Amino acid sequence: MQELLDPVVLGQLLIGGLLAGALYALLACGLNLVFGVMRIINIAHADLMLVGAFAAWVLFATLGLNPVVALALVVPAAFLFGYGLQAVLIERVVGRPLLASLLATYGVSILLVNLGLLIFGSDYKSVPVWQGSFVVGEFVIPKPRAAAGAVAVALALGVYFFLERTRLGKAMRAVSEHPHVATICGIDTRRIRMIAFGLAAAMAAAAGAMLSMIYSFSPLTSADFIQKCFAIIIIGGMGNFLGALYGGLLLGVVEAYVGGVLTTQWAEAVAYLLLVLVLLVRPTGLRGAADVR
Amino acid sequence: MKRLWLLMWFAGFVLAAVGGAAAAQEVVVGTSVALTGKYDRTGREQLQGFQMWVEEVNARGGLLGRKVRLVHYDDESKPETGAKLYEKLITDDKVDLLIGPYSSDVTMAASTVAEKHNFPMVSSGASASEIWERGFKNIFGLYTLAETYMDQILEFGKSKGLKKIALVYENTAFPRGVASGVKAKAKSLGMQVVYEEEYGKASTDFTSMIVKIKARKPDMIVGGSYLPDSTAFVRQAKENRLTAKIFAFAVGPGLPDFGKNLGLDAEGVMGNTQWEPTLNIPGAREFADKYKAKHGHEPGYHAGGGYGAGQVLEAAVKKAGATDRDKVRQALFDLDTVTAFGRFKVDATGKQVGKPGYTVQWIDGERHVVLPASAATRKIVYPFKDWAKR
Repeated sequence: MQELLDPVVLGQLLIGGLLAGALYALLACGLNLVFGVMRIINIAHADLMLVGAFAAWVLFATLGLNPVVALALVVPAAFLFGYGLQAVLIERVVGRPLLASLLATYGVSILLVNLGLLIFGSDYKSVPVWQGSFVVGEFVIPKPRAAAGAVAVALALGVYFFLERTRLGKAMRAVSEHPHVATICGIDTRRIRMIAFGLAAAMAAAAGAMLSMIYSFSPLTSADFIQKCFAIIIIGGMGNFLGALYGGLLLGVVEAYVGGVLTTQWAEAVAYLLLVLVLLVRPTGLRGAADVR
Repeated sequence: MKRLWLLMWFAGFVLAAVGGAAAAQEVVVGTSVALTGKYDRTGREQLQGFQMWVEEVNARGGLLGRKVRLVHYDDESKPETGAKLYEKLITDDKVDLLIGPYSSDVTMAASTVAEKHNFPMVSSGASASEIWERGFKNIFGLYTLAETYMDQILEFGKSKGLKKIALVYENTAFPRGVASGVKAKAKSLGMQVVYEEEYGKASTDFTSMIVKIKARKPDMIVGGSYLPDSTAFVRQAKENRLTAKIFAFAVGPGLPDFGKNLGLDAEGVMGNTQWEPTLNIPGAREFADKYKAKHGHEPGYHAGGGYGAGQVLEAAVKKAGATDRDKVRQALFDLDTVTAFGRFKVDATGKQVGKPGYTVQWIDGERHVVLPASAATRKIVYPFKDWAKR
């Protein structure tokens, strides 16, 4: 245990935690955006992430594209996929009882997982680029994680500023706050929802493309991620975009330190311990914006 | 109308009778293997090896002149699913013979079902000695025991004057078996385990662990692992510049996927193997060539084990002269034979005692047997090349 007093070990754990947390944040932000705008819990969100991961893998295997470069293709494609999915399917369950949307998105999840198994099999895949790390003083910063962290933060902040500053973003927030009034004000809520789902899918796919450089994945990998995602948005505050960002970073860092002080097994459980703690102390989550309708 | 129904009833009975007669003329072999979940890659290899035996034995005229039919299910790498499936195989499918699942974990559960029905089970994919310490009379292993996996590597490390070992392992039967073997062997060799940690079956991120291991400066990194975790660990060891003289992992490095996923980073990593196509065992090369022609890649030991399990069953049934459970069980206890997978000889608990284990290392993008020296296809590469100098 004495090594835990070592500032290098502590700093290294923080770096690892923040980089993992950034990726969690990017993933959870999309889930929260969808929940905020249309009160739908998208169980297929982590599967959309894997769509991005497999797209990055295919682009690497066939064209040799680095996943960061591949983002230029994957992100718009995922946006269109999400937009279309909303138009064709999710739109039908908006405003319906929660169970309807849960079942619909669960169906999408099953479909995507099995399509993945059919096309790619259940072998673990990964994209071996940028292996290795930068050395900064006493610290090492893994290259793929640094790239993923930077991309995650840039995208999440980009979407945040889009929501805050642009007319479309404001409209999206209006729909999130009060869809009925937004409609009366002349906002095309249907279009807003399609854009929101597109954005969420794009963020998930971007997270997936980044993940492909870091972890091995198979179509069945999504289960662990979706559970953590749910924990993050509840910790951060359901429906609050920034809440998911904070929640993701927080979880990454807490996992790293719990893994350091205790063991990795504890680190895996900490998301749910944190979840229970937040629910006990501050049931609305860190950003406390979730309202029940 | 009534008459038509009657006719259909009758036709149904006739069909059922004919079907039943046909079923009596075949030998049904049941198994479950992981086709999804963490052990899917290795499970599928094992199944493919076994399927090759089924094809071949049928081409030879079957078992006792009866055609062999395989019934298999996917246990999703889950012990509880495995147990249910073996219950189904025995009671619903009424199979004549049983092959065990892949992984010690699932075998622990499945073998309790076989024991309950007093049904002998030939186990290809399990090596934790725990399985044979429960006084069961119906589980027969092909694999060399998990506890001995790292012995050769530790002895080699000792010969190089290495002392400090960092040991990490998954929290299930087989990896724990590997770990307890490492601890016992280290103690007897006077080496020290300076770091030890268990991790969950779903762990993908070992960064925190690696940061701590680094601070202890071990000479050897030893992992009680499967494929996904060993791959992730090596990649993250590189990312975090974890250095040591030896990196050794169970299961992962024994599979082609290890080299495929890690590329150059696999270089120098050691592992264990139950079997390799290059070993001087009658039938090994022939099996490997046929397997490669069919599946497009060299078989690893998981496929070899599946094929060997088929041959063991064949030898036992021939010796017993029947598929009767009691006779087959006795034959399996008495058998001392050499399959394409190596020698099969069990002790009074059904535990494998006839087959040695081997050590592999990734050298120049290929998996080579390096220990014991008598079976080596390349000279061992030592020490593990520093990540910074690659």
